[in-house]
Amino acid sequence: MAALELSSHFRCTVPEPPSPGSAGPILVVDDEPAILRALSVALRARGYVVRTATTGQEALDETALVSPAAVILDLGLPDLDGVEVCRRIREWSEVPIVVLTADGSDDRKVAALDLGADDYVTKPFSTPELLARLRVALRNRSRTGRQTEGPAVLTVGSLVVEQAQHRVAVEDRTVLLTPKEFGFLCLLARHAGRVMTHRTILQSVWGPEYGTETQYLRVYASQLRKKLGDEPGHRRLLTEPGVGYRLVDPDAVDPPCFPS
Amino acid sequence: MTRGDAIVSCPAATRLPLGQLGEPGPERCGASTSWRVPPANSIGHQRSPAEQGRTVTENAQGLTGDPLAMTSKRLYGPAAGLASLLVAAAVLLPFRDDLDTATVALVFVLPGVAAALAGGRWAALVTAVAAGVALNVGFLRPYGTLKVDLIDEVINLIVFCGVALLTAALAARERDRRQAAEERAARIEALSQENMEIRDEQERLSAKTLALGIAGEHRSALLRAVSHDLRTPLTTIQAVISDLRDGTEYDPAAQDEMLDLVADEAERLARLVANLLSMSRIDAGVLLPERQAIPLEELFEACVKRHSRLVRDRKVAFDVALTLPLVDADWTLVDQVLTNLLANAVRHAPIGSRIDLAARRRSETMVEVSVADQGPGIPLELAEAVFTPFRKGPGSSSSGVGLAIARAIVEAHGGTISIGEARRGGARVVFTLPVHGA
Repeated sequence: MAALELSSHFRCTVPEPPSPGSAGPILVVDDEPAILRALSVALRARGYVVRTATTGQEALDETALVSPAAVILDLGLPDLDGVEVCRRIREWSEVPIVVLTADGSDDRKVAALDLGADDYVTKPFSTPELLARLRVALRNRSRTGRQTEGPAVLTVGSLVVEQAQHRVAVEDRTVLLTPKEFGFLCLLARHAGRVMTHRTILQSVWGPEYGTETQYLRVYASQLRKKLGDEPGHRRLLTEPGVGYRLVDPDAVDPPCFPS
Repeated sequence: MTRGDAIVSCPAATRLPLGQLGEPGPERCGASTSWRVPPANSIGHQRSPAEQGRTVTENAQGLTGDPLAMTSKRLYGPAAGLASLLVAAAVLLPFRDDLDTATVALVFVLPGVAAALAGGRWAALVTAVAAGVALNVGFLRPYGTLKVDLIDEVINLIVFCGVALLTAALAARERDRRQAAEERAARIEALSQENMEIRDEQERLSAKTLALGIAGEHRSALLRAVSHDLRTPLTTIQAVISDLRDGTEYDPAAQDEMLDLVADEAERLARLVANLLSMSRIDAGVLLPERQAIPLEELFEACVKRHSRLVRDRKVAFDVALTLPLVDADWTLVDQVLTNLLANAVRHAPIGSRIDLAARRRSETMVEVSVADQGPGIPLELAEAVFTPFRKGPGSSSSGVGLAIARAIVEAHGGTISIGEARRGGARVVFTLPVHGA
C-alpha cells in the first residue's frame, strides 16, 4: 500500500527513492509530544520506521546510534539550539535533515540551511508537504552525494540540462544561457526540489568571496524565468522569500508541497 | 485571538492591580514578574508642586516674618535696654554717694549690650544715650542736672559714652552675625529638606519606571507564552487534519490515534483559553469568587470526569473523608485550580502512574486539598518560583501560567497554595479553602 501511494507521488523522471525503512529509520526531533505523535502516526502509516527524540542531545545520540535515513528536526529545542544540532550532525554525517521552524524565525532556518540542512517546513505545516520535502531530501541523497556534480544529464520534468555540453532545453527547445545563468540553473537542477540558500548559490556560482549579494540572484532568476518560459502559476524556478531558490517540476503530482 | 489582544492591550496601570509589582525578584527576566505585589497606589503617589511649595514657605516664614512682627521686634530692643537701665539705676540710686562713678558707668554699659543683642544697633544707641543721660543726671554731682562738677567726672562720662557705644556696636554686630548664621542654618535646613523630597521623588519615579519595565516584560512574556501555547496544539491539529484530507488510507488504529490526538489538542486549547480568561480577570483585578457551599468530593469527581481523556493513562485516586465539611468557594474557579494541577501532574508523571486527590480538614476554618503525582517532583529551590507566571519547571512544555493562576484563585478565596512534601517522590501541590460557615 505504501509503495503504491509513493509511486503516485513521483511521476517525474528522477529515480525512486529507496523504499521507506530500507535505509534506516526516520528520526523525528521535537520537544512537543503531540507533534511527535502526529508525525509518528503519519510516517508509520507510510511504511517508515520512526525514532523520536525530544532534546538536542538525544537527537545527536540517536543519530550516532541508529544512523537514520533522514532527520526531521525542530529548531526550538529546550537544551541545544536546533541550528547547533544541525551543525554538530553535519560535522560527521551527511544524513538528510529537514528542519521544522516556528513562524518568524527566518534567520534561524537560513542558518540551518547554510549549515547543511536539506530543507525546511514552517510550523504550522501540512503533513503531506513535510513528507514531500522529506522524500525530496531522501531522493537527492540517494542519487547524488552532497555538493557533487551529479549525472551528466539532469532532467526536471520537461527541463533537460546537459552539464558537460552546457546545453539546456525546455520542451525540446534549446535555451541559450550565459555561463552564470547556466551555473545557477545547474546547481538548482542538481538539487531539484530542494531549497538552495542565497549564500549557497552565490558561493558555488560566483565564488567563495560572495555571500550577501542577493540582488544579483534576483536579476539572474528573472532572466532565467524569461528564458525558460516560466509563467506565473506554472513556475519551475520558485523564490523562497528571504531564503533562496528552488527548482521544481511544475507538472509533477506532488502538491501541495511546491506552491507556485 | 481578540481575547488575547484584550489582555495585552490593557494599560499598565490596570494590568497588575491584584498583584504587586513591588518584589521584582533577583532576575530581570519576564519569569520573575510576580502577581504578588503591593497595591498599585504605593507606586504612583506624587506630591503636587503646590504641596511642595507650601513646605518651603513654611520653612521660610521663621526667617522673614510679617511687618507687624517686625515692628514689635524693633521696639522690643530699646524697651529691653531702657527697662534694664531703669532697673540698674533703681538698684544703684540709694548707694550713689558711696559708689565710684566708674563702677556705675561699668554697670550702665550692660543695658546697652542687652539692647544691642535684643534689638540691634538702633536700640543700642537709644539705650546708650539714655544711660549717659541717666548717669549724668542721677549719679554725677550735682544730682538732678546735666551739669558736671569735676573734670574727672567729665572724662568719666565721655569715656562711658564711648565705651557704651562701642560695646553696643560690637554687640550689635555679634547679633547680626548670629542672625545671619541662623538664617543660613535655616536655609540649609530648608534646602536639605527639599533635597530629601527630591530624592524621595526620584526613588518613587525609579520604582515606577521599574514597575513599568516589568509590566513591559510581563506583557512580552505573556505574548510569547500565548503565541507559543496557542500555536503548538494548532500545529498538531493542522498536521493531522492535512494528513487526513490528503486521502491517505490509514488502518483503523492509526486513524483512532489521530482523532485522539486532535481531540486532546482541542481540549488543551480549551484549557488554555480558560486560563487566559482567568488571567485577564486577574490582571484587571476583577477575580471575585462567587462563593457557595461546595462538597469537595463532588467537585473532584466532576472535574476528573470532565478531564477523563486527559487522565486516561493515569490512575486517579480520591481520598476525601465523609466528615469533611463543605467549603466556601467558587465552583468554576476551584475546578480550574484542580484542572491546572491535574494537567501538571499528567504532563510530568509517567503513563500508568497514580495521581492522588485528597482533601482533609486542616483547622477549624480551613480545608486542605492536595494533588500528588509520581513524576520527577519539583526541586526545592523552585518550590516558590513555579507559582510565578511564565516560570516553567525543568523540561516543562507548558506555558507556565497554570500554577500562577491557581495561586491567584486560591488567594482570592483567602487560602494559600504551596508545594508540599511529597510522600512517594513526585510533586505534591497543597492548597487551602475556607470551611463554609466557619
